[in-house]
Amino acid sequence: MFQVPTIADLNLGLTLPALSLALGACVLLLLDLFVPRERKEITAWLAMAGIAVSFVLNLAGFNESGTAFLGTFAADQFTGFLNIVILITAFLGVLLSLDYLKRAKIERGEYYVLLLLSAAGMMFMSSANDLIVVFIALELLSIPLYIMATFRAPDLKSEESGMKYFILGAFAGAFFVYGAALVYGATGTTNLPEIFAAVNGIIAAGGSQMFLLLMGTGLILVGLGFKVAVVPFHMWTPDVYEGAPTPVTAFMSVGAKAGGFAGLLRIMVVALPVFVLKDGQTAAAWQQTFWLVAAATLILGNIVAIAQTNVKRMLAYSSIAHAGYIMMAVAAAGTAGVANEATRAALLYLMAYMFTNLGAFGIALAIEKDDGSDTGVDNFIGLAKSKPALAAMMTVFMLSLTGIPLTGGFVGKWFVFKSALDAGLVPLAIIGVLTSVISAFYYVRIIVNMYLKDGEGDPAAGATRYVNWAIYVAFAGTLLMGIFPWIATNLSDTVVLAVEMFVR
Amino acid sequence: MLELNVQTLAFFVFALFVLGGGLGVITTRNLVHGTLYLILSLFGVAGFFVLLSAPFLAVVQVLVYIGAIAILIVFAVMLTRSMTSLHEVVNRQWVLSTIVAVLLFVMLTVTIILPVWGQDGSLAGQPVSEVVATTTDLGKALVDGNQYVLPFEVASLLLTAAMIGAIVIARDDE
Amino acid sequence: MSVDIEVYIALSAILFILGAMGVLVRRNAILVFMSVELMLNAANLALVAFSRLWGGAEGHLFVFFVMTVAAAEVAVGLALIVAIFRSKQSIDIDELHQMEG
Repeated sequence: MFQVPTIADLNLGLTLPALSLALGACVLLLLDLFVPRERKEITAWLAMAGIAVSFVLNLAGFNESGTAFLGTFAADQFTGFLNIVILITAFLGVLLSLDYLKRAKIERGEYYVLLLLSAAGMMFMSSANDLIVVFIALELLSIPLYIMATFRAPDLKSEESGMKYFILGAFAGAFFVYGAALVYGATGTTNLPEIFAAVNGIIAAGGSQMFLLLMGTGLILVGLGFKVAVVPFHMWTPDVYEGAPTPVTAFMSVGAKAGGFAGLLRIMVVALPVFVLKDGQTAAAWQQTFWLVAAATLILGNIVAIAQTNVKRMLAYSSIAHAGYIMMAVAAAGTAGVANEATRAALLYLMAYMFTNLGAFGIALAIEKDDGSDTGVDNFIGLAKSKPALAAMMTVFMLSLTGIPLTGGFVGKWFVFKSALDAGLVPLAIIGVLTSVISAFYYVRIIVNMYLKDGEGDPAAGATRYVNWAIYVAFAGTLLMGIFPWIATNLSDTVVLAVEMFVR
Repeated sequence: MLELNVQTLAFFVFALFVLGGGLGVITTRNLVHGTLYLILSLFGVAGFFVLLSAPFLAVVQVLVYIGAIAILIVFAVMLTRSMTSLHEVVNRQWVLSTIVAVLLFVMLTVTIILPVWGQDGSLAGQPVSEVVATTTDLGKALVDGNQYVLPFEVASLLLTAAMIGAIVIARDDE
Repeated sequence: MSVDIEVYIALSAILFILGAMGVLVRRNAILVFMSVELMLNAANLALVAFSRLWGGAEGHLFVFFVMTVAAAEVAVGLALIVAIFRSKQSIDIDELHQMEG
């Protein structure tokens, strides 16, 4: 007969942060019906309350680890850290949207529901311990984003942005499923730790299942590579980022990356770290490919960004370049013994990127006009005169994106480069340093425009109260992480994804 | 290796459906025909499900894919009034795209189609399982708390999100 | 079982490539979308075939979820296509060039 599981079997306590956010989204959907049309900011505040509840629950259970739902959900510090990143992103995303939606006359309660659902998808992604959960969380992350990108409809740019994102997202999803199917075919299970256990046997047997595993890993990389926008799967990024409403761009540029890299790290580090083509190798078979992808992403993202004249497009290429740095850490995780250090580096980088990037998009949003125009690099000319505080904060964000010491970006890069060196990927680390220098060209250009060029100075009409709050939070986070890095590093001190191998 | 019986015959008919329908979708100049080809291909896959002892999924395939998805696509074709013959079949970067597709084909052939037969003529000697997952197993796994309650719940969130989204996009501003 | 599992896998790989090719070369958004459905079906076929090989229910479950996702995607995707058609009178993806680059 049915073996009805008890609540204790399901281990619900560990899943509370993600579940409470999902539940919050559903409750918000109902409450929104009672919010009058002209007072939709109430919905936004309720959404922020939901995020805050989830955040508190996440901190309360931060150091607990274990699995829930009988092995399909893993909660550990990796999850906890990523949840912090995701929840802050969602919180700042709501703050940035509040006035923007009103200005653009697209204020609808559903927006916040979709934002919460997408954030819940990211959180499920960060704790997914099964290929099926990774897939379904990936889709829960993406589908609300397609809709949010189209939120300015019937504005053509916004519709095109949503359409492109949708077609490439669906295409990438299909690649992911086929890859997952092949991995299932090779190992007979979709549970990540069980795949890990099965891989050793496959290598020992040396049969044709190796090829299935190889192709499956490749297709999963393609699927998630589209989501996190690494070369050669990046071409949708600039158009989608430019066309989508700016707060949506800010939210997706950080959130989708956090979710995508969470899935990539979990699959590669938990399930496939010992996947080598012949016995005795110390680096996983996928490391070479990841190495190449990271190098190509760094070079292309940073060089093409120089030519951009629109800030949103420039930040899009910059986000591609930053995906390259995180990819560098993922590649480093392929070396035996460096996996956990590299995972930590990727997490810290994501947190630094989150604060800095949300701040930069916040300022781009502040100088944007109501109809979504005037986001050129030239619109920053003279900003230091008209809005000195905003200009000063933008300077810090640009320096942090470049990776100058005393900013969060430097801390992130430090850990990433260190893990790459420890993994023996010296050429990749050199490419990383060189491209960081190149990136200074386009980041410093904005600073030069603000301070050294004469001009009217944009009135920054978009810098309303809530947008300012969001920018202050991002600014504080960037500096705090740069000056007191141990706050963030202590949060990730026991991140252990990989089972350290004794038999290889 | 292959003896001729009802099952092999059915396999070949369904294979013809699946591949013929697939080819039809990517070459047709008429969207309505394209949809019909898609239905043919989906029907062939449902037939394979029966041959692979997954009757429940075969029924779901017919209900969801042919009954819902294909019909929705027909509606989209009608609403966009694009059923007339398309002037151009391929897009501008078709040369590059074809190269990518051919590369993918070579990779999949080398890594899947050739090696699945392995050295000893099967998937590395993995014997075909004696047990077959039944519909009862499927149901238990989904809601029995056996393992897959979580994706089941997340799927419901996903459908909610899609429903809200479709309404938000399609709704005219009052 | 008169037809080997391997034959099914090979067939699903060919269907997957057909779908991928359709996405890459066609320019009508609805046809591109149909090609994505072909790719998802190829994955479903592979999953069911592998599930027959291993005898577990995971493959079947995965197919179940893929179908759910396909249904969700079709709802959102077709709404998007119809919305774009309303504002542009065209669903040709080569004409999606409001933004430079």
